[in-house]
Amino acid sequence: MSTQAVCSDLADSAADPLGLAALLRDQSRLLQSLFAGGDAAQLLAGLHSDGKRVALAQRGLQAYRANAGALAQRALSAAYPVLTELMGDESFAPLARYFWQHAPPQRGDVAQWGAALPDFLEGAPQLANEPFLGDIARVEWALHAAATAQDAVTDAASFALLASTDPAQTTLSLSDGATTMASAYPVVSIIHAHLHGTPTLAQAGALLGAGTAQHALVWRRGLKPEVRLASATEHALVQALQAGVSLDAALTLACGVDSDGHAPVFDFSDWLAQAAQTGLVTGARLLCTTESTSKQPKNNPKKDTP
Amino acid sequence: MLFFSRDAPIQHTMTTPASAASAIATGIGWRHPHYGELLQSLPELDFIEVHSENFFGAGGAALAVLQQARAHYAVSLHSVGLALGSAAGIDAWHLDQLAQLVERIEPVRVSDHACFARGTLATGQNVHAADLLPVPFNAAALSVMCANIQQVQDRLKRPLLVENLSAYIPLKNSDRSETDFLTALAARSGCSLLVDVNNIYVNALNERLAGGTIDAVLSCVQWLDQIPPHAVGELHVAGHVNCGDVVIDDHGSRVCSEVWTLYRHAQQRFGGVPTLVEWDTDIAPLAVLLAEAAQARA
Repeated sequence: MSTQAVCSDLADSAADPLGLAALLRDQSRLLQSLFAGGDAAQLLAGLHSDGKRVALAQRGLQAYRANAGALAQRALSAAYPVLTELMGDESFAPLARYFWQHAPPQRGDVAQWGAALPDFLEGAPQLANEPFLGDIARVEWALHAAATAQDAVTDAASFALLASTDPAQTTLSLSDGATTMASAYPVVSIIHAHLHGTPTLAQAGALLGAGTAQHALVWRRGLKPEVRLASATEHALVQALQAGVSLDAALTLACGVDSDGHAPVFDFSDWLAQAAQTGLVTGARLLCTTESTSKQPKNNPKKDTP
Repeated sequence: MLFFSRDAPIQHTMTTPASAASAIATGIGWRHPHYGELLQSLPELDFIEVHSENFFGAGGAALAVLQQARAHYAVSLHSVGLALGSAAGIDAWHLDQLAQLVERIEPVRVSDHACFARGTLATGQNVHAADLLPVPFNAAALSVMCANIQQVQDRLKRPLLVENLSAYIPLKNSDRSETDFLTALAARSGCSLLVDVNNIYVNALNERLAGGTIDAVLSCVQWLDQIPPHAVGELHVAGHVNCGDVVIDDHGSRVCSEVWTLYRHAQQRFGGVPTLVEWDTDIAPLAVLLAEAAQARA
């Protein structure tokens, strides 16, 4: 039985000679005081009655809170460098502290904290005039997550399968951490402007003003997480491959005729060569029978390569 | 059942020892500003120490650079997030990540702190404070911490070293001294103690601010003398900052003369155990850390 289970049981039990329930309660009370800022007076009164010790405890609480605030800002800035620049330190620091209190970390690795920030930004009335910040944060979190994804190992020999096997029975393996996102904003241009200076901030701003939408593709190139522009076709192809469908079905989905009756121009061979070279695609593999049948998209039953 | 007995030896796999067999094995905290310089210059050190959590994850650049360093140095994995004193228990995800890292790096030592950080808010939300929060020195905290340490040791298949805290909130419901608590912790759980000499001194200075201890150094000597010599597997030294109304263990400056004095006393008592120089904020040039390490070794 876990310690948590033991303590939870004891909280309702009179048989607690060690005082485990009191320990659980006191620890929750201290956490409550640190995160919710609540009831420090009650907490401190429970600690010591001596004036100097209460003063030291108050100063101690202040030190723990200050440390948490600084840590919150450091952690979020590390995961969201562009967002930090866009908002400026004077706005980002209070945002980080507020987010720490309202969506506190649950893991002991603070790098895991912050995934909920994009939704939080989109729901914040103070940021209603900057609706693109949520998507910027989504791309940055994808980059942050890709940084510690499993290192890719390319199986070059496996690509021979594509020449020898029915594309309805094969698929492509993508590197861990790869993800793609459709945004109503020029997220890739804004991020590149801040991280690399190309395009310029003015050019990225002009794209934003013009209402440019972009697809972002995030993946790890070797050890380096990268983001680049993707076409709508590539976005759909990557999504379909990540869903585990056959290459045939993925291409059918990605290259389907749009509502205006147009089919996109997409050179799969060129795309594959580049995707393999840059580490996005790590190999080809046979689909097992159940995989190839159960994951076929319902709206794309045909098996012919377009 | 304990996976390791109290007398189980700590694994040593030093690859580039800096000192003769009789000298004190000495290392430095290896932080991001020194990643490149250390790998390029490969200074003589007995080990380097990293915070385990900075290398969690399945892959990536951070892990690659640590594996590169591991080819040259013994690595001590010092964790800050297990929260061994949490009545809410150990986070299984955290332990999985640490176990994976231990398997990859084969560290010379694995350590964490005698603190808590996990729990539940009034809203029912589970949280981790990402800090080293104090536990009272009583039977309940001892029982919880022993159970949690045992869980970690069973998973890692090696003994853990557990470090004493610098604590900024004096807890009232302790019924024994910190040294009695730590001694019992080592005896019952099979862990070794990692004695942070600077933490003892910081606590003594804060105790003086609270109207307690008058002679901070003397009280620290007494603290050290209450710990059984065989229970200690490593020492830490670091700098601290005196804010006037509180002293903070910020690891942001050179080790002060009082802590060096206490360190010498500790080494005499504990028999030349490995020593780490920590520096985590306002990180000084590598040469300064190496000079501090040389002073610890001398």
